[in-house]
Amino acid sequence: MVQVYFEDINVGEEIPQLKKNCSTQQLVLWAAGSGDFYQIHYYKDFAQSTGLKGLIVHGALKNAFLGQLLHDWIGEKGELRRFGCSYRGMDEPNQDILCRGVVTKKYQDGGKNMVELDVWTEKPDGKKTSPGTAVVTLPSKA
Amino acid sequence: MTQAQQSVITEEMRAAVGVEGPPVTMEVEKTNCRMFARAVGHSDPIFYDEAAAKARGYRSIVAPPGFLGTPIFRPGSGGGVPGEMGGRGFSIPYKRVLNGGTDYEYFPEVDSICAGDTITARSKIAGFEETEGSLGPMLITKRETTYTNQDGKVVAKMYGTLIQY
Amino acid sequence: MADDFEITDEMKAQIGQETEPWTYEVTTTGVRMYARGIGSTDPVHYDVDFAKKQGFRSIVAPYGFLGTPVFHPDTNDGTFGFPRRAGGPRLNLPFKGLLDGGTETEYFDVICAGDVLEETSHLADIKARGNMVFLTNESVYKDKASGKVVAKQRLTSIHM
Repeated sequence: MVQVYFEDINVGEEIPQLKKNCSTQQLVLWAAGSGDFYQIHYYKDFAQSTGLKGLIVHGALKNAFLGQLLHDWIGEKGELRRFGCSYRGMDEPNQDILCRGVVTKKYQDGGKNMVELDVWTEKPDGKKTSPGTAVVTLPSKA
Repeated sequence: MTQAQQSVITEEMRAAVGVEGPPVTMEVEKTNCRMFARAVGHSDPIFYDEAAAKARGYRSIVAPPGFLGTPIFRPGSGGGVPGEMGGRGFSIPYKRVLNGGTDYEYFPEVDSICAGDTITARSKIAGFEETEGSLGPMLITKRETTYTNQDGKVVAKMYGTLIQY
Repeated sequence: MADDFEITDEMKAQIGQETEPWTYEVTTTGVRMYARGIGSTDPVHYDVDFAKKQGFRSIVAPYGFLGTPVFHPDTNDGTFGFPRRAGGPRLNLPFKGLLDGGTETEYFDVICAGDVLEETSHLADIKARGNMVFLTNESVYKDKASGKVVAKQRLTSIHM
């Protein structure tokens, strides 16, 4: 991982994207990792019986993807202070989920280099499914 | 809110705001940190390898973002995650539910969350809001969960939004 | 018998090749998840205080659970979790089908949460029956701290 520094980033800049594509196996791994065994994520008949078209990706997994997007960008010396999103649209397995972020603010607070971002997941057609925000700190070059 | 729209917030609900629920013990261990990291697809070795985590100054393997430990499971309990999707105990006329989203807040200057930590989670309703949207009248319930580690330090907070309409 | 799949001398030479050791961790969350997975309600697998009152070090691993192998996406199989490591058999079987043919576990001690085990394994047998190949793997689990053997496991896999 290349370390990114506070001085080098600009408001309006997009951070490196993270592309995900969940197999149904990944949704089972997520059930094990999160402790959420709700059947709409791995049992198709059940998902359809609740009115869904098929299996859907759990919102919390998409939130965790955004966590990875930010973790990988801030590098070893950055700190993740806050992140989250709303689960607006549904994503399905075996379809690209693109995780993106844009810097919205950069300022100093109590001696720390604060950076705020808009983060979100989007479908291949560009529709945003999980809009959210994040607050991180970045190191200074000095 | 139009004049004609009836509020669904009851006295019982108002009284519940700020009241902390029972503590839930969450265990952060090497195996569950790795499992969460594996499920998300993380590649950073600090989420898998103790030596790599220690070399970066952490006490042990680091809990990945969004992972706050596994609640101690008791058979017959259902084993849900504390805080998320909570606040549905009240009887209100709206039958439909949406998870409005979850935010995690960390306090890295206080401490990190690592394998070997025992976290106590306590949830409370932070507030109710009513709005009128494209889906009609909605009740928004805001929930807050505070995570305190074995040293009594608050290491994280989770903010959940539940939308009923 | 109609032609069995040919087990070559090269394949037979894989028998007995010992793997390098791998660490398996028995954690409270792992023990509880396994117990929950089999539907056990016995508190000895869930409640640490209860297990200690029964004379155990901690909650007891249900039969069949010998811990979770230390996992990293670069070293462990993404589906089965087993480590890819030095030593061990090198077989290139041309089959797509895979079934679990059975597991036998022999215990020499009670395994509890908190235990850290070291596992080595080797191919013990390879047999063909028609176009199916049966592999039997033997694993030895030692307590990492004391070096004592705590369990042995024989696993059979069917390739077809």
